[in-house]
Amino acid sequence: MIHAKSGDDYFLQQIVATAFTGTVHSVFKHALNIRSDGNDEIFTLATKAMDRAPNTLVIDLDTLDHLYINQQDRVSVRDNQLLIEEKLQIAIHTATRWQCQLPIYPADRTSLKMNMIRVKQFIDLHGKGGGIKRNDLPVSEFEAETSRLLQQRTTLLYEEILNQRLDCFQTYATDLVGLGPGLTPSGDDFLVGLFAIIHLENSPCSMYKPLCESVIKMMQPLTNEISFTTLKKAAHGQVRESICSFIHAILYGTEVESIEALRRVLAIGSSSGTDIALGLISGLEANIVLGG
Amino acid sequence: MSKINELFTSKINVINVGIELFKDDILAQNASATHLEWSPPGGGKPEIIAALNNIDKAELAEKIEAANRLAVEKIVNSQPVLIGFDQAINVVPGMTKKTILHAGPPITWENMNGPMKGAVMGALVFEGLAKDLEEAAEVAASGDITFSPCHEHNAVGSMAGVTSASMFMHIVENKTYGNIAYTNLSEQMAKILRMGANDDSVVERLIWMRDVLGPILRDAMKLNKDGIDLRLMLAQALHMGDECHNRNNAGTSLLIQALTPYILETDYPVEQKRAVFDFVASSDYFSGPTWMACCKCALDAAHGIEYSTVVTTMARNGVEFGVRISGMPGNTWFTGPAQKVIGPMFAGYKPEDSGLDIGDSAITETYGIGGFAMATAPAIVALVGGTVDEAIGYSRKMKEITTTENQNITIPLLNFMGIPTGIDIRKVIQSGILPIINTAIAHKEAGIGMIGAGITNPPMEAFEKALITISEKWA
Amino acid sequence: MSIKVVIKRNTYFDSVSLMSLSTKANQIEGVEQAIIGMGTEMNKGVIRNVGLMTPEVEEATAGDLMIIVKTTSADQTESAYLAVEELLTNKDKAQAKSDIKYATIDSAAQGIPDANFAVISVNGAFAVREARKALENDLHVMLFSDNVSVEDEVELKTLAHEKGLLMMGPDCGTAIIGNTGLCFANAVRKGNIGIVAASGTGSQEVSVRIHDFGGGITQLIGTGGRDLSKEVGGMMMLDGIKALDADEATKVIVLVSKPPEASVEKKVLAQIKECSKPVVVYFIGGNEEAVVAAGGQFAKTSKEAALKAVLLAGIDEAGINKRALNIPLVEEVRAKLAPEQKYIRGLFCGGTLCDESMYLAMEKLDNIYSNIQKNPDFLLKDINVSQEHTFIDFGDDDFTNGKPHPMIDPSSRIERFLQEAKDPTVGVIVMDFVLGFGSHEDPVGVMLPAIIEAKQLAEKEGRHLEIIGYVLGTDLDTPNIDEQVTKLVNAGVTHASSSTNAGLLAREMVLKGENHE
Repeated sequence: MIHAKSGDDYFLQQIVATAFTGTVHSVFKHALNIRSDGNDEIFTLATKAMDRAPNTLVIDLDTLDHLYINQQDRVSVRDNQLLIEEKLQIAIHTATRWQCQLPIYPADRTSLKMNMIRVKQFIDLHGKGGGIKRNDLPVSEFEAETSRLLQQRTTLLYEEILNQRLDCFQTYATDLVGLGPGLTPSGDDFLVGLFAIIHLENSPCSMYKPLCESVIKMMQPLTNEISFTTLKKAAHGQVRESICSFIHAILYGTEVESIEALRRVLAIGSSSGTDIALGLISGLEANIVLGG
Repeated sequence: MSKINELFTSKINVINVGIELFKDDILAQNASATHLEWSPPGGGKPEIIAALNNIDKAELAEKIEAANRLAVEKIVNSQPVLIGFDQAINVVPGMTKKTILHAGPPITWENMNGPMKGAVMGALVFEGLAKDLEEAAEVAASGDITFSPCHEHNAVGSMAGVTSASMFMHIVENKTYGNIAYTNLSEQMAKILRMGANDDSVVERLIWMRDVLGPILRDAMKLNKDGIDLRLMLAQALHMGDECHNRNNAGTSLLIQALTPYILETDYPVEQKRAVFDFVASSDYFSGPTWMACCKCALDAAHGIEYSTVVTTMARNGVEFGVRISGMPGNTWFTGPAQKVIGPMFAGYKPEDSGLDIGDSAITETYGIGGFAMATAPAIVALVGGTVDEAIGYSRKMKEITTTENQNITIPLLNFMGIPTGIDIRKVIQSGILPIINTAIAHKEAGIGMIGAGITNPPMEAFEKALITISEKWA
Repeated sequence: MSIKVVIKRNTYFDSVSLMSLSTKANQIEGVEQAIIGMGTEMNKGVIRNVGLMTPEVEEATAGDLMIIVKTTSADQTESAYLAVEELLTNKDKAQAKSDIKYATIDSAAQGIPDANFAVISVNGAFAVREARKALENDLHVMLFSDNVSVEDEVELKTLAHEKGLLMMGPDCGTAIIGNTGLCFANAVRKGNIGIVAASGTGSQEVSVRIHDFGGGITQLIGTGGRDLSKEVGGMMMLDGIKALDADEATKVIVLVSKPPEASVEKKVLAQIKECSKPVVVYFIGGNEEAVVAAGGQFAKTSKEAALKAVLLAGIDEAGINKRALNIPLVEEVRAKLAPEQKYIRGLFCGGTLCDESMYLAMEKLDNIYSNIQKNPDFLLKDINVSQEHTFIDFGDDDFTNGKPHPMIDPSSRIERFLQEAKDPTVGVIVMDFVLGFGSHEDPVGVMLPAIIEAKQLAEKEGRHLEIIGYVLGTDLDTPNIDEQVTKLVNAGVTHASSSTNAGLLAREMVLKGENHE
């Protein structure tokens, strides 16, 4: 029997309140996705190596290897335990509840402006290329072309926000979905960062908030279910803990704290962390320009 | 483009040796780094490092590499087949009525430890060379008896390894290279000769094995013209959860399953056959010696290859641990003091009751099973005082000191990795990692028997002596 | 041209695997281009743009994994695809291996096929063997360890040269390769200036000044302190210059060292002559004419070296804050010092920083003693007792024997500082504080109590004690330079903006009347 360490409030509610059943959607070393029978939503079981995140239950395991869990294995709930066939039993009651709480965008932007400079330099030096951040030497024509399109479309979206025009936001955002390498395409990752900033309370670009929530419906067919789930949560202001902590640090913390928090974001996936960080930066820069 | 310019345009991936902080700094910059669990080669002794450097010189190093490749090729390709059973006097080279074979490197009667002395005395009584144990001690000390290591007679012996003329032996033939290896039969139980016990019950059992068990097995195998492919059976046993040194449940089932039809076909009375099956069923250890002979048979084929640093023998006589390497042909032993065995004891015994590490059974680790294949036998990790993760770790760790993986015999839990094969003394000394050996614990006094099981390591000294010798001889 | 497309339905790999698979797939022999990615509409759009669209690709959906392999000739396609497939199936094996601990370089190099570099910092008695093993495994080597014989150094560098590998060291403390700082290095901007250096702190100083002037670094290659000796013959520096000359990203090359042995200097100058890129030469206390004759740019100080490099690299001079010496401050301090407060005491962690200050002082002052003086007449009689003007390198073997480097463990310098601060003939104490990877986490903080105590004592005795502090670091280091400087300034320490300025300030403050700069 494995204990759950902490869980996303909504996921725990789903497990307890409904007769939750589902199938295994995909399995990785540190995460396992489950598709709920009820509403086709994707939920995640993550090992201790992962941070807390929307729709995610962190369990007391180091790795999911060697459990022989396969796609399509049945998932059910019995006596406060989440069961995957006979292969994994997870006790739910031990989980502490967690919910993403984004910070409020501050009136005083001094720290933010200072921190931004270092954060951008750090990403420039240590961020992972291949997605939004261009590699000096792309490995293939495909990568070069992907980078070019990402560059072009993220810039269009940024300028659109600066001009405070509403008409093209949805088109430009949709054009990014599903674009780029990795399981969660770089364009999706960038949008996750940007959506998070749009959802900060008092955010100068919060006028786009309702647009995020409406455009998400158009995005579903454009990307895979795992990435879409993350994107949808972000469109409602829900992002994983490391992103939330980083936003807090860059708005209110010191440079050292910002870099520490940034490292944890950059560690997400391969280039995903860098792509998310650049989405966050794009949103914050727009905020600085718009908010004065 | 030069390799340096290639480096400039690729992602840096560092192996860090020494100060661990440097690795942390590299990781903090999102580059890749792996920290070595490094220890100074040869424990930092200058003469050992000098010897290592000597044999690392390009020309010699190439010869050694080639010789080692050949040695492991022979180990891996060897196909040991059980072809029969017979009394030692009839088959073992150099055996006489007054010869007693023993485990480990050469040793005199005076220097033997308690369990081995106990076994020798019991064997002398069994052979009728002495009327009782008291007289047996006198005969042993008289000089009339020839003591000789099993290993020097193409044989191996479990624990004390005491083997006398009329005992029945496995006969295992290497179908690939033609050599033959021998070992005697399992006495099952704990209170047995090989563990140093020697009372009437022990001698009576030996007599029954000589008069009933042995002949039945001999005659049964005469009916089996093809013999029993031990390598294939060993591979199966590992997949069934044995490591074939301390756990033999699966192997014993497979072996008796193969022998049964022929035993039934022999002309012996049913009650005698029944007694044989009961005897086999009384302990899972029955096939333990069989695997030892199987390993010995493969390793002997790889012995005597000039310039090879592959270990072909690890054996202990209870006082000394002896190692032979392929490149030093014949009976050149490199020795160091036998070590304590650490592990759980039977109720009522304490660690200070243990005799030191003893027996030729480390031949299994020399081949790549036993402690080296710990990951195949999660059921007995507690017996050797560990966890499953540790067990997996052992098998991986042994890869550090071996030359290749034997793909004929694989470990399912490690993605069907072949067993680590061909211990290279250079790697042992460079890494400071000693071979891990699963083994039983005998009581230090004569006459008592097995009191526990556990794991142990050879003394580094034996490997160091070997290294110094070859560096003087070859460099 | 031939294309093979395979679509795997509902197959998910994590991003790390996908990216590394994609990189590896593109390196397979015969593969012109390989794409491994999710079959989203946008990715399909990119494929259309690069001309690889096929009907199979059209049908892929967002949850599918696409594998597209393009080869120049048709007969290679199948085998190339099989190689890609092999990568996919072996992914698990590769991942499982990441948890494995390795005990030797041989096994690690075998288990980590992507490894390309070894950093070796074990005791010198064992280091040569490990370095040789690394080179034999085709790894570039940074050998931090010292106490390696010159014969061994020559053997290692010869082997590395033959194999076309870097052999940085022995006794190499600083390098930056592909923007990753190794051992003692600072976080500096990526740019177009390459450095080859025989001196650790010297190269740290130059890289930090370049960053401060708005420039950036491509590679910083350390050679180890003995590379330019007659016996070693500058093997690493010569290979380093060649490699930077061939490196597209590098536009300017900077060399940092103590003056080379004459025959080696000749070889280095000949190499400079051959080099297609401008080379700035900072040989501390070296000869200008020879460098200029070889077509090099001579720099007398570390600051000058950095400035010349950034200008050659195309940074606009108008935008550079050159951090001129604060002359009014010098006057002010001179007025405060009593006539008997004649001497400078320099207490350094960085050897080159010590050297630079000492050479600057020697231009105008006599009787300068040190534990690293070349002239035996001016070697300290007892390294624990200062004489007249004294400059101490705490990183030298005299002080480090068996102890960690002062950049990690500052205790011996703190003690010595308190001793110097009590000396009534001392006017100026100058110290360096080195930030960056490998260094102490708060070098100023650990010295502050002693500084405050010394200042209070001097005040009680009615003398002015001038303390000059130089912080070697950048705004990207942790802790960053501003935080450390603020601490110094708040404690009443005069902040020098560079190693050069630290030396100049100290010298000028104790000069009386004549010889003003």
